[in-house]
This record gives sequence, structure tokens and C-alpha cells, in this order.
Amino acid sequence: MNAHDIAQYAMQKLQETGAQQYACQAHTSAKREFNVDGGKFSLLRTTIDNQLDLTLIKDQKRGKILINAFNQEAVDEAVRDCLAAAEGSAADPAWELVPGAQRKFILGAPDGDMDQLFARTQEMLAAIGQEYPKVMVEQMIVAHQRSEGIYLNNLGASYETVEGLYEAQVMFSGHDGDRSSSFNFAAVVTDQLDKPFLDQGSMRQNLADAEKQIDTVATEGKFVGAVVFTPDCAGDVLGELLGNFVGDGVILDGTSPWKDRLGEQVADQRLTLSAAPHHPAIVCGERYVADGYLSEDYDIIKNGRLNQFMLSGYVANKTGKKRAPNSSFSLVMQPGDQPLHDIIAGIDRGLLVSRFSGGSPASNGDFSGVAKNSFLIEKGKITNAVSETMISGNLAEMVNHLRGISSEFVRNGYSRLPWFAVDGITISGK
Amino acid sequence: MLTDIVTKYRDAFAPGAATELRAQRNLSRRVVLRAGSITQNQRTDTKGIGARVYQDGVYGFASAADLSDDAVRAVLKSATDNAAFMARHAGRGTGPLPAIASGQRPADADFADLPQTAYIDCLQALDSYIQQKYPGLESRTLVSSADSMEKLLLTSDGYTSHILAPRSYIYVMLTAKGKDGAPVEVFEPLGGSGTFDRHFADPAALYPAVDRLYEMVMQKAEGVYADAGVKTVIMAGELAGMLAHEAVGHTVEADLVLGGSVAGPNLHKQVASPLVSMTDFAHTAFGQAAPLPVYVDDEGVLAEDAVLIENGILKGYMHNRQSAQHFEARPQGNARAWLFSDEPLIRMRNTAVHPGKDKLDDMIASVEDGYYLLHTGNGQADTTGEFMFGITMGYEIKHGKLGRAIRDTTISGVAFEMLKTVDMVSDTVSWGSSGFCGKKQPMPVGLGGPELKCRVTIGGR
Repeated sequence: MNAHDIAQYAMQKLQETGAQQYACQAHTSAKREFNVDGGKFSLLRTTIDNQLDLTLIKDQKRGKILINAFNQEAVDEAVRDCLAAAEGSAADPAWELVPGAQRKFILGAPDGDMDQLFARTQEMLAAIGQEYPKVMVEQMIVAHQRSEGIYLNNLGASYETVEGLYEAQVMFSGHDGDRSSSFNFAAVVTDQLDKPFLDQGSMRQNLADAEKQIDTVATEGKFVGAVVFTPDCAGDVLGELLGNFVGDGVILDGTSPWKDRLGEQVADQRLTLSAAPHHPAIVCGERYVADGYLSEDYDIIKNGRLNQFMLSGYVANKTGKKRAPNSSFSLVMQPGDQPLHDIIAGIDRGLLVSRFSGGSPASNGDFSGVAKNSFLIEKGKITNAVSETMISGNLAEMVNHLRGISSEFVRNGYSRLPWFAVDGITISGK
Repeated sequence: MLTDIVTKYRDAFAPGAATELRAQRNLSRRVVLRAGSITQNQRTDTKGIGARVYQDGVYGFASAADLSDDAVRAVLKSATDNAAFMARHAGRGTGPLPAIASGQRPADADFADLPQTAYIDCLQALDSYIQQKYPGLESRTLVSSADSMEKLLLTSDGYTSHILAPRSYIYVMLTAKGKDGAPVEVFEPLGGSGTFDRHFADPAALYPAVDRLYEMVMQKAEGVYADAGVKTVIMAGELAGMLAHEAVGHTVEADLVLGGSVAGPNLHKQVASPLVSMTDFAHTAFGQAAPLPVYVDDEGVLAEDAVLIENGILKGYMHNRQSAQHFEARPQGNARAWLFSDEPLIRMRNTAVHPGKDKLDDMIASVEDGYYLLHTGNGQADTTGEFMFGITMGYEIKHGKLGRAIRDTTISGVAFEMLKTVDMVSDTVSWGSSGFCGKKQPMPVGLGGPELKCRVTIGGR
């Protein structure tokens, strides 16, 4: 059975359970993937998979089942399991599906050009060898993925999707004899093969930096200084900030320090951060949410004010707050008006941090971890690469001690972020 | 249990090419009870068939979400075509893989797929206990989680096997208000290999563990920030296991050695104190069953222990068949795949530091000014061996005695330097097995060790 037929069959069986609300998503996917290991081609992989996701709410009790078999017998069993899961659960009026629209979405590049993709993969591997001779490719994965399917709920939502994208990710390190840099990586997703992967996202920057990070100095002592986060690292750091302060879990259990600060200034007024799956920089962004509504872009923080929590419909109902207009993590940050060079020129002592390896931040936002693939900034200039250097601070304080946001930004298909610099970070070494 | 649809296809394998055919089912359950509300209640059931073919130094792989004869024939053809494509464009001229032992590993005992209510009821009983006994907590989150892999494997020249590997856990997270008003958290996984009913038939059996955790979170609420800098610490077994896995284990996976890890130039060299030995155990460790036993890997290699460090000397790497050929070593059963749609990768199994002769009390008494680090929330390491572990529970040690609890912090170091500072090793090993190792695919792994006294960099304010 194809995805549409299996979805229709599943909806019929869900209706027979007597559930008041139910939904079904059925998708098929096909992926072709080239692997490179240790700098050499190693594998070509073709995977065909299905996903059938069933949700039902009966007497305010919810069950959810995911299977990958597309046949009637498997669906019958899954619907029975879904009902049993719901009946074993506790009644909670916060669970709900919502009425939706009927749409069809064709996104990205559903029909991949595998010959061209292989050519781009060969080209990238050769170019890294020629242009970055001290870089060793630990692993490279280049793939095309196609997905096709439908979402249905019993309140009228019907969303058909056909989408496809190319992805390229590479993990590497710099080497000179027995000396090596820390590993780093870069990744892009795109729906076009019109330009080399190497010219996209942060590929070239990170590869060039790896060669400069073979020889490092250990930071001496401890000082409070400025830190400039690269766009790759900014995505990770902002992800921690959002998870800790505006996400479902911390709002539901009331541990977010920002739980009562909607509409208030929580960050420097230059900070505007959005979840924007429709933004032109985002490839195959989310078009609907599994509760049944269409996704819309929104600002999480606008000009430093907390504009919207990132809440699911369930937690919104549970807490009386507004649900987020999408469930994506397609982060788009508004660039600043200063070139990166000028921001760095104004820093007397600090770090340029490309990767952060840290523990999960504490509930209050305290964080600490190792600054990886990073450089010292001294008297306005980037100097030595560093090793064994830790940074610590507080996420909430950090976004209030903004030094600057660069006018340049990196778009890699899943986010669009600039460099940003903050003051007041504790930097410690040996 | 899966019906055997693979063994009759041996004759369909391409002549002269090393081929693996694997039917697989993964089941998982996850129930989350956050502040008394069930925020997740989910069952996942994934099954299908995958095939991998080796030709001229490169592989082709294919999979389909279908356990039928048509699917078997289709994935064998597609994997063979993919291998031929790669051989044509990127063949390495390395010849066939060296022969391995062949045999049969029969099916393990089947296990019961429990109803979802078993997972929900246990959590609700535990939650009710916590809510009534400790009403002053800021928040509580309980997660019941179970997963299993069932694999039916046919290989052209190695072992055939039928493996079932279930594991089950309850994660307890407690949050209290700190003395400064900021929330503090502690976290502990309970459970292990086997089905949920084996570990959690009686929720009351978990109450002592919850009571201990409550005591910790209240100590942490009164806790202090660690003093940043290089310190003498005693790492509990949980951290020693994390060190063995993250900071050493990954660097000695042969694929990462070929990718330039620090272990490459250090083979047969002193990389740790002579007190330190480390092994990736297959199925039995220190005379007992390892937490997550592996008997045959997904290349059909009969699993045996991989000695990594012996008395401080780096002795060897972990291999798949191809890397073993490259390094002229013997594959020991480390090639494993997570889903039917995944190819086998070099993975750890049960990686541990060996116990020593010291008593924990003597170790604490020997520290003038340092920390006893008990629990970690996460850990990451580099191919250089530089590591970072988040510390979620620990205590000061002052003048040989345990002091105040510390707030969340981070420790870091470079494995082959830090391991040389180990000067005491306790005589007791503790294991963990609740997490997933992430390396392209997730994979359940066991990790463990004794308490280690050493010097590391600790973060603070």
C-alpha cells in the first residue's frame, strides 16, 4: 500500500476505536548516500523506509504509536496498541488536535540528480585535498533524501507533502606530522547543486581554521573577557538558551527564570531571534505541526523583548500560555550593523569560539565547558589557537551583555545566523 | 520473534563478495511524567531488511522496510549494484577480506512485549511516592524507557546468529530550589539489560534510590560553586566509565585512528599510569556478565574482548573486518548497526577501566584539597583525547574528608596526559548502560570502572 492508501485505512481504523480526536501521518522516504572514511570513498547506501505515526485522544487520554510497516495487519495491531496506550494513560484535557486546512506542498528537490551529486562529492574531496593539504577528512556523508506522504486528522486537516533535499556533512581535523587539531565539522542542506558544497555554509572557514589550529597554546590563568561565537557555535549556544528558558519542559515545570517575563526585555535590544521555517534561507522548512495547524514564522525574542515561548499546543493549554506558531528549530537571527572585523578590533582580550563542548546548562542558565577550535583575541586581533581552555558564564546574563552582532551571516540551509560577541565570560586555562 | 527469512538466501549472495544479510526489529517505549502530567506516551516498532556487499575495498548497502522475500531479493540486488558502482569509481584494489571463523549462534530466549500500562503504572506509583514524601521539591520528572534490538543475521563467511537484546530504565530527575533561589537538579538512571518487568516489578523497590537522590538534591541546594582550576579529584566509577568510553575508547576505534586520532602515533607507548588497564569487554567482565553482552557482531564475527590499555601501555584498537585487514589485526566483534537501515560501524560494547587495590575511604583521606565527583550528565571528547564531562553531583574534599556538595560544573583534560596522573584506583567497579553512544547512528553501550584519583581541570565561576 502507498502512503495515501495506508493513511486512509488507518483513519478508518482509528475512527472505529471511538476516539474523539485522531490523526495519522504516513510517509515514505528514499535516501541515497555516499560515505567517505579516512579520506577515501567507503560506501554507497540506498535506504527505503516508511513511517506511520498514529495519535488518538479518547476521553482526554492520549496514545501515540510509530511503526514503519505499510500493511493492513500492521495497522490493525498499531491501532489496538495506540488505543491501549491511551486507555492506560491519565485523562488530561490539555491534549487536543485542531481543525486545519487542506494543502499540498512540493518542497526542495524531490528528484535528486545522483550523477551530479556524486560529481559534487568527488569535487569536494579533491578540493579539500588540494586547497587544504593539512586537513584530514575523518568522515564525509553526502546524500539526497526524498520524502512523500500525507497528514490527516479527523478535524479536517489534510497536508500532502513531496520534498527532497541534498545534504553534505564533513568531519575533519588538521594534521602536521604527529601534531593535530581538534576535530571540527561543517554541514549544509540545499535543494540545488549549482555550486560546490565547499562554497556553502561554513565549510571553507572551518577547514581553513583547522589548519591554523594544529599548533595551540594553553590559556594561562583565569580572566573575564569577551567571547565571539561563530555562527555554527551560536546555533548551539542559542539552542541551550532557548531550551533552558522558553521550551516546553521548563515552562511546564515552572523552572524557567523567564516563565513570567513574556513581553519584557530579557536581552539586549539588538537581539531579534526567530523560528522561521518559511524563511528563504531554510530548505524544506516545516509546513505544518502534528496537532493539525499550519506553521507560521514567529519571533521568539524581538528587539530584546521576549515575544513568544516555544510551546507545543499541549503545554500551552496546560499553562494557559499561547502555543508557538511552529514547532521547528529553524533559527534565524537578525544580523547587526558592524562588520566582524570591527567587532574583533574592539576586543582587548577574549576568545573567538567555533565549537563549545559543555555540560548541560543548569536550570538558572549557568554553563561551563571547553572552548574547542577556538582562537585568542588580543588587542583587537585574532592570534593563537588555544587548547585546554574553559569558558563559563550565565546564558541570561550573556544575552544582556551583548558586545555586538556581525553584519555578515552564514546560511547553511537549516539556520541563518551571524557572529555575535558577548562580554563577561570567565575564561580559564591551566 | 522474527520469522527466519534470511538463511535460505545464502545461494543468492554474489560469488566472491563478502555479504551480510540482516533482518531486524527495534522496539521502544517511552513514557514521560513531568510534574505529574504524562507528556509523552509512545511506542515505536521498526523492522526491515538490510544487506551489505563488499567489493574491492568498498561497500554497497541497501535496506527496505519490509520483511518479505521480494524485499530480500531487492536489497541484495541493490547492495550488489551499489558495491559495483563504488568499486568501479573508487575501488581500492585491496582484495578480499581475510577469512573469519564461521558458525551459528542460536536464538536467545524470547521476551514479552509488555503492555504500555506496565510503563505508565510504575511511573505513577513512583511519582505518587515522591509527591507525597517530598512536597517541597520544585519539580520532578520521571521517564520510563525501554528498547530492544532483534537481529537475524546471515553472512557469506562468518557466523549466522539470532540476537535479542532488550534493556529497560527509569530515569529520575528531581529539582529543588537552591539557597540563592535558583533551581538545582539531580538525575539518576535505574535499570539495565533485560525487560522492564525484570527491573521494575515492584515500584517500592526503587524508593531507597529515590530517597538517596532526594538527599543529594537537598545537599546540592545548599551547595557551592567549584573553584576553577587544575585540581585533584576522585572520579566515581560512572565517570571512569565515561572516560574509558569517550576520551579513550573513541580514539582507539580503528576508523577514527585512520581519520587521524591521537591513538595512531601512540600504539605500544605509555599513555597512562601503570595502574591503569582498560578493556572493551564483549560479554563477560571481571567474572560476571557485562551490562550489554555482545556475542556475535553484525559482520558475523564471534565477539571477544578487545584489550585497549594494559598497565598504562596502549595495546590495540577496536576493529571491523576492513580495518583489521588494514592494521593486520584480528576483528573482535565490534561492528554493530542500530537499525535495519544502518550499516555496521566500529562501536564499543562494554568499555571499562580495570579495578585496582585501593579503598575509597583511603583515597578520600589522601586528598588535602579537591573534589569527589559522583555523577555526570553528559560527556564529549575529541580525537585528540581532549574531553569534557558535565558534573551534576559532587562534593568538596577538604583535609581528607568529604565537605559540601558542589553545583553543576564541567571537568576537562587530555586523556593520555590526565591518565598519567592516576595514582590510586579503587577495588570496586560500577557500571552504567542507560545511554546511547552517538557516532552517525545511536548505539546502546555499557561503560564502567572503579574510582580513580587523578588531576583534571574543573570549571567554576
